[in-house]
Amino acid sequence: MRAWLLRRVAAGIAIVFAAVSLTFVAIHLAPGQPFLPPDERPMAPEVVARLRRNYGLDRPLPEQYLRYFVQLARGELGESFSQRRPVAQAIADAVPNTLLLTTTALAIDFTLGILIGLFQAARARRRSDVALANVTLFFYSLPTFWLALVLQLVFALWLGWFPTGGVTESALYGSLPLLGRLADRLRHLVLPALTLGLVGAGGTARFQRAALLEALGHEYVRTARAKGLAERAVLVRHAWRDALLPVISLAGVALPFLLTGAVLIETVFSWPGLGKLAADAISARDYPLVLATTLLATCAVVAGSFIADVLTAVADPRVRLTA
Amino acid sequence: MVFAATGEPTTLLPAVTTAAIERDVFDQIFLKLAEIGRDGGTFGDSGFTPELARSWEWTDPLTLTFHLDPRARWQDGPPVTAADVAFTFDAYTDSAVGSDDRTTLIEHIASVTASDSLTVVFKFRDRYPEMFYDATYHMRILPAHLLRDVPRATWQTAAFGRAPVGAGPYRFVSWTPGQSIELAADSTYFLGRPHLRRLIWRVAGNLNNAVTMVLAGEADAVEVLVTPANIAKAKADTALAIYPYAGSTYTFVRFNLRANGDRSKPHPVLADPQTRRALVLAADRPQMVQAVFGGYAKVPPGPMPQVWSWLWKTKLTPTPPDSTAAARLIHGRHLSFHLAVPSTSPTRVQYAQLLQEQYRRLGIELVIDQVDNPTLQQLLESGKFDATLESFVTDPTPSSSVPALWGRGGPTNYGQYSNEKFDALVRTASSSATQEAAQTAWEAAFAALAQDPPGIMLYALDNFAAVNRRVTDVHIQPDSWWGLVRTWRIPPNQLTERDRAGR
Amino acid sequence: MTAATLFALTVVIVGTGALVSWCRRHRWGDAGRRFFRHPSAIWGLVVLVFLATVALCAPLLTPYPPYEQILALQDHPPTWLHPLGTDFFGRDVWSRLAYGARVSLGVGTLGMLVAVTLGGLVGAAAGYFRGWTDAVLMRCVDVGLSIPRIFLVLGAIALWGKLGVGALILLLGLTGWFATSRIVRSDVMSVRERPYTDAVRALGARPWWIIVRHVLPNSAAALIVSAALGIGNMMLLEAGLSFLGAGIQPPNPSWGNMIADGRDQLGTAPWATLFPGLAIAFAVMALNATGDALRDALDPKTRER
Repeated sequence: MRAWLLRRVAAGIAIVFAAVSLTFVAIHLAPGQPFLPPDERPMAPEVVARLRRNYGLDRPLPEQYLRYFVQLARGELGESFSQRRPVAQAIADAVPNTLLLTTTALAIDFTLGILIGLFQAARARRRSDVALANVTLFFYSLPTFWLALVLQLVFALWLGWFPTGGVTESALYGSLPLLGRLADRLRHLVLPALTLGLVGAGGTARFQRAALLEALGHEYVRTARAKGLAERAVLVRHAWRDALLPVISLAGVALPFLLTGAVLIETVFSWPGLGKLAADAISARDYPLVLATTLLATCAVVAGSFIADVLTAVADPRVRLTA
Repeated sequence: MVFAATGEPTTLLPAVTTAAIERDVFDQIFLKLAEIGRDGGTFGDSGFTPELARSWEWTDPLTLTFHLDPRARWQDGPPVTAADVAFTFDAYTDSAVGSDDRTTLIEHIASVTASDSLTVVFKFRDRYPEMFYDATYHMRILPAHLLRDVPRATWQTAAFGRAPVGAGPYRFVSWTPGQSIELAADSTYFLGRPHLRRLIWRVAGNLNNAVTMVLAGEADAVEVLVTPANIAKAKADTALAIYPYAGSTYTFVRFNLRANGDRSKPHPVLADPQTRRALVLAADRPQMVQAVFGGYAKVPPGPMPQVWSWLWKTKLTPTPPDSTAAARLIHGRHLSFHLAVPSTSPTRVQYAQLLQEQYRRLGIELVIDQVDNPTLQQLLESGKFDATLESFVTDPTPSSSVPALWGRGGPTNYGQYSNEKFDALVRTASSSATQEAAQTAWEAAFAALAQDPPGIMLYALDNFAAVNRRVTDVHIQPDSWWGLVRTWRIPPNQLTERDRAGR
Repeated sequence: MTAATLFALTVVIVGTGALVSWCRRHRWGDAGRRFFRHPSAIWGLVVLVFLATVALCAPLLTPYPPYEQILALQDHPPTWLHPLGTDFFGRDVWSRLAYGARVSLGVGTLGMLVAVTLGGLVGAAAGYFRGWTDAVLMRCVDVGLSIPRIFLVLGAIALWGKLGVGALILLLGLTGWFATSRIVRSDVMSVRERPYTDAVRALGARPWWIIVRHVLPNSAAALIVSAALGIGNMMLLEAGLSFLGAGIQPPNPSWGNMIADGRDQLGTAPWATLFPGLAIAFAVMALNATGDALRDALDPKTRER
């Protein structure tokens, strides 16, 4: 067990290192340089040259590379070019927003998905199952940014039930009581989380249904039925535990994706999260910020798959952890 | 009072940036010596209103003396002194700080000294009509006592830029990154406390989100509407009032007269002035303006935005489109070139598509390359482009931006355009003593430009700001959109819950 | 819509229906029977054949060229002449949808082809040769899977400034092969141990020949299913990129850049954004349904009760 743990951790570090190195080379080779003011009035060449010198960008690439990793080893992420403040602060401001959005979306995704999958498996092949199968397939196939636009159009612009974007109603937020603040945050959370959650739920439901139907075909289920257990008891008590495993592994894969796959949603709803931060950083050639977000995202992916593996091993004693 | 901002500032330290988003905010916090008049005139000192300087005089033709208002105080207590002004000039002209105005200031002003705590002396190198404008327009006076010890090389990222302290009508309260910036009215402001107690900029990310915010009532004002759809929506909204004002931007296609990627050779297609004239004639600019802006923009006769309103009174008109003449000039050759367009501007992408189709009908092949801003800047600087579609935000005076963009050797003349006749006329126009003389000279200069076009001047925007009706006394200053916010009011019977919060 | 194009469209729809129902009745063997047991797969096939035909025969089915701007009819709602309305430039939405099918389906399919080929070869090499080859290749796959795909693509686009269609296909393919390689690798590893592989090796066949001729066909099922499902992902990715302005350039229509073009007019002319979005949704739906049915048909291990 310990050997496996050590090997995984070592592999994880190696992967993160490789990913960040790749990104480093790629972003430095990209055309265009970082110091551009927002409304396109070009900066004087002397100013640009001085900024490049300040940030050490005029040194040869291998030297910059080494410096970056030495700096990283000391725990410093550097300063953002486009935000003019430490990268750690920029990320610290963005991560809670993304986490809020994605955990809510994941909650919607898995709750809805598992319930629908369960319902479908219980009524396999009947009309409700077929109808739901088409609905889940439809949502699963939608482009997320398109759904976001449609939801924004219908619920924010036409009906006015929810705000069009942002995290809070900044002007009012400071003076609201605690309950009011909570309500305000919730109102702003609904549309973006719903967009992500609905599309995800479509996929999860399909997955859960398939896993359940497979589990229902196993020997022990036949035994349970032969024992005279009601169908629902068979489903929930026996088959479901089996079928939950693949869904857990799905969660392991889903988490990192949601950390960064919300770029398009964050753009449509002006949600100041990590995805938008990363996309903006790439187009602004903000090297330290790009590298830091890649580092974070890659760590999340590695951690996510690690956790999924551990959970699967814990839940199913048949699975042995091998390298 | 909530503003919907299309982007987010990076820093609020005036010396390191002149971007509109940042000026919107820091112009409420910082003051200049004198503010430009409502008509935007830059000749002499007519129309300028006193701010930090209570009065001024010309002690000799090259020396300008300002007397500061003794009531002026920094928001953290100490009074504003002439030493602050001298310090500000020193900072603005220091290459370590990297101000955009450095070259202009150094070129004309030899020194700025404090002769006593309330008297500042500006010494100029030469006489020209816009001396007063240069002395006052560019610099926002900075607090020496707070910035003296901050190393100049770190000003770009200084913490002061995230929590600025000025002498103006509003003081900084808070900045929630990615979301909002809040300012509060300074009750001790020496020129009278502003009526609006709180100013909040909400970051919307892009124009459409900002307009949506205002239409939904989540914000009270947005500074530009741009598209006719937005204008129509805003006009239809009974809660909003529309304020038209002259825009400071103009958009153009820039031709590269040198070969793509090789400055030593002329461009195979675009070096020939006849070809360029043909391209201008083939572009049906009035039709494009109608299609994209519904008429809420004008085709400029030269590289000029609408804010230079005195220039639009000339007899000069833009070259009318003439596809037959264009076809004749092309002689049946198959022309083909690339147009680099920034992907962040939907309007310019639309314009590119319209232009592409118009050219296709004449057998000219225009290939559109959508690139992001840093790439575009790199293409321009390295000369690796055929044509680009750019927008330019100008100063209130043509004498700075026109030679920079189109004059020989100008720092932003990336297309390597060179026209001696034009350069000479520009020099005359920049040194004209009166507005009438300048007008005539600029007219001649732009006429020379039309014969040998460096690009296609596509449009100069009519700007519209949408402000909630409950706000009265609204005046928009063209060069600094929210510059006069301190004079706006909301009558007490119109205050909403949001306005009352935080009092 | 002119009478001629309406007639052509009807012919295509009827033809598609006829083709699919003939396929259904034909004897394709065991796998085919299992495939056609799924009604969703049949509908999926209909949609795919229809879209493919529209894409191939676009000039015959569209009354207007996709780039033609009729500025007098900007943002016009659907009428007889323009059954799906016009966009901001007065271009017929149906015509652009049809030509856009070429781009979206084409880029998706070709991208997936590149990904499947690369994934198949890498996975096969890793599974067959084992040892160092396997370790190195799989580490690369791990790194590739760790960086979020949209970052990879955005970063690559930043790297090259502007991409042509070919480069875009290559890019999508080069960033999408990682999962396929893992699947193929495990398949190959199981086949490798079989006696007949030993026999062929003993006969002196060279490794690559063994891989291509004997081992890979075994993974054909996994590859085909992976491809069918992957095309949908590629299409969504291309749409997202075009939406951000980084994908297909104007005036070439792609379903993604049609949504981007129409975004600003969402309130006033929703049809310009609605129809391309629905087109993507239905295409991806069809691909997913067909892929699922294929998985059931070709892979005897995952039989559903």
